[in-house]
Amino acid sequence: MSEVSTRRQFLSRVGAAAAVASLPMECLLAAGDEPKQPRARVAIGRDEKLVGGKLDEHRELLGKLLDAAVQKIMRASDAELAWRQLFKPRDRVGIKVNALGLSTQPAIVDAIVAGLRRARVPANRIIIWDRFDVELVQAGFKLNRSSRGARCYGTDADRIGSGYQREIEVSGRIGSCFSRIVAEQVDALISVPVLKDHNLAGVSLGMKNFYGAIHNPNKYHEDNCDPFIADVVSHRHIARKLRLTVCDGLRAQYHAGPGVHPGFAWPLGGLIVSTDVVAADAVGADLLEKQRREKGLNSFAEEKRPARHIATAGARGLGVADLDRIQRIEV
Amino acid sequence: MMQWGLACGVGCAMGRGVCALGQDTAGTGALVGPRLEGVARHRAMFWEKVDEKNVKCTLCPRECEVADVERGYCGVRENQGGEYQTLVYGALCSANVDPIEKKPLFHYLPGTSAFSIATAGCNIECKFCQNWRISQFRPEQVESVLVTPQRLVDACRSNGSRTIAYTYSEPVVFYEYMHDAAALARKAGIGSVMISNGYIQEKPLRQLCQHITGVKIDFKAFTEKFYDEWCSGHLQPVLATLETLKDIGIWFELVVLIIPTLNDSPDEIKKMSGWIVDHLGPDVPMHFTRFHPTYRVTNLPRTPIKTLERCRKIAMDAGVRYAYAGNVAMHPGENTYCHGCGKELIKRVGFRISSNVIKDGCCPKCGARIPGVWSQQEALAFRPTTQPASQPARGR
Repeated sequence: MSEVSTRRQFLSRVGAAAAVASLPMECLLAAGDEPKQPRARVAIGRDEKLVGGKLDEHRELLGKLLDAAVQKIMRASDAELAWRQLFKPRDRVGIKVNALGLSTQPAIVDAIVAGLRRARVPANRIIIWDRFDVELVQAGFKLNRSSRGARCYGTDADRIGSGYQREIEVSGRIGSCFSRIVAEQVDALISVPVLKDHNLAGVSLGMKNFYGAIHNPNKYHEDNCDPFIADVVSHRHIARKLRLTVCDGLRAQYHAGPGVHPGFAWPLGGLIVSTDVVAADAVGADLLEKQRREKGLNSFAEEKRPARHIATAGARGLGVADLDRIQRIEV
Repeated sequence: MMQWGLACGVGCAMGRGVCALGQDTAGTGALVGPRLEGVARHRAMFWEKVDEKNVKCTLCPRECEVADVERGYCGVRENQGGEYQTLVYGALCSANVDPIEKKPLFHYLPGTSAFSIATAGCNIECKFCQNWRISQFRPEQVESVLVTPQRLVDACRSNGSRTIAYTYSEPVVFYEYMHDAAALARKAGIGSVMISNGYIQEKPLRQLCQHITGVKIDFKAFTEKFYDEWCSGHLQPVLATLETLKDIGIWFELVVLIIPTLNDSPDEIKKMSGWIVDHLGPDVPMHFTRFHPTYRVTNLPRTPIKTLERCRKIAMDAGVRYAYAGNVAMHPGENTYCHGCGKELIKRVGFRISSNVIKDGCCPKCGARIPGVWSQQEALAFRPTTQPASQPARGR
């Protein structure tokens, strides 16, 4: 069997070719002549000093941890090479943070920006964004609409409503106007969610983070947000641009999310990093599930909010959802 | 395009507007108010706590369970630390002075104007929504001005309108504002009509009907399949609302937007009409209106006029006394004919009345009582025939 036919068979199996175009290369280029199930690599970086510590005092450590994780998942000889494999100087890179409820910490985004700069991406070609300016400010980000330094603004920054595309885009069962940032202003995306529980979707991680890219996420929370999360991520504005997921697990929350609930805080002191957002989410959900069990809580399924969207995304070929096919790399 | 009848300094940021009155400039200028930055928070009515931080909305049949910092399906009601809040109390994104016929209400003060307002949001999602640029957006995404209920009533009074219409998007989602404004309006001698999809629970509906004076319900179809697939809703709650309205005794009319191939089968129209006659009586007017491609249904043609005529005939054959063809200017099916003798009573040209011979609510030829609300005095005299079981408190 030729390599070409093998790939065709593979593409046929996983479904939409467009979605597959965004898969990490290692998923597509399994060694050997026979078709193989895609695999993924997820790096989990932890350091005790980051548990409950003040991040400002450990910025260098955080940067090193992120670099090491990126280097591991890219199998690069050094961190700079890893970043350069992922991003090119001409890329316009959007960093999608989660500023709602328990929010992404700016220190992690700073470390990502530093990584992008090592890949020679000019600072003013980097956009840190979420839905609203006010939420970004509340999460501790400093707004910047100038052309100096990394930009930071919400979709609704300029004029009310102007931040979304004018026409509806349909993807699966969703019909939404996408943020102009994700649709028009960036070529590459990094999802930077928080490792947290969600009262309807089970977990709110790298994929659900992109509910912040559409104008009407409130319409898509039924049935545990499934298949709607996969529908959003399948859209070309996301699937073709998403290159990296860095999940903020420095201070996770294993229950009562997505709002802040200190009683269920989990100072994990870690990051989950992968080029495969589905795999990153699968590992994140697994960690939360185990933490819940340790704390004597019901599983997500028992609470009737299983994170089904992860399997749905896997079945669509958006990435690897099967934990047995995900290599976890401790950093 | 603006979404305002007058230049209020607020435009439609989403691009093409949904101004129901086009470029009409009749009178809403009195509403010029502070442009709203962010949202207009107000403690919501009709919700209950699930636990310390989670709430359940009991306003509409969805009964959304909403976690802290999250919103319900409508996108305009938010849980803040265990308290449910509306985000659109007085956040008007659209205001026009419309002919009441445009709602359409054909048996409610014909020839008068309705001061028509809306906020962002809706609790269902019709794939053919003509106002989707406000109904399917969240409040932060639509430019609005802040108008208190008292200012709305004052503006309506200075404009000379007898009625406030809560319309365009879905007034159920801005219930608190509608409730308070309607109560104030009534004291000022102004009626209120709700133009709604009927997706509301019985308790809030009964409470609201103590203040409003008329209702129009968009009856989307007569199959659960249609409601599920094309509206993200369910049929049964709408049927329940219609029966509640009948029980309350408030004046209401029904509109059915006829969409080719989706809800236009003679059998469905026959069943729908039969149900209406059996459960609501023969005097509830039905308007079969014309679909135009929009939003997510752009692959279907406009409704043929013959289809509307067929629907109208089926309804009348089933016993509906007042069936109309809508969105078809100058069509004889837009006129009102006496159910007793067939005399033409109201002749309409578009949204205007060219003649109205109804005398004291009766046919001048045969004397038959014509169902409807024909005077402001009659509108304001309405009181629900049944009272809510208990007065719900605001929130908990």
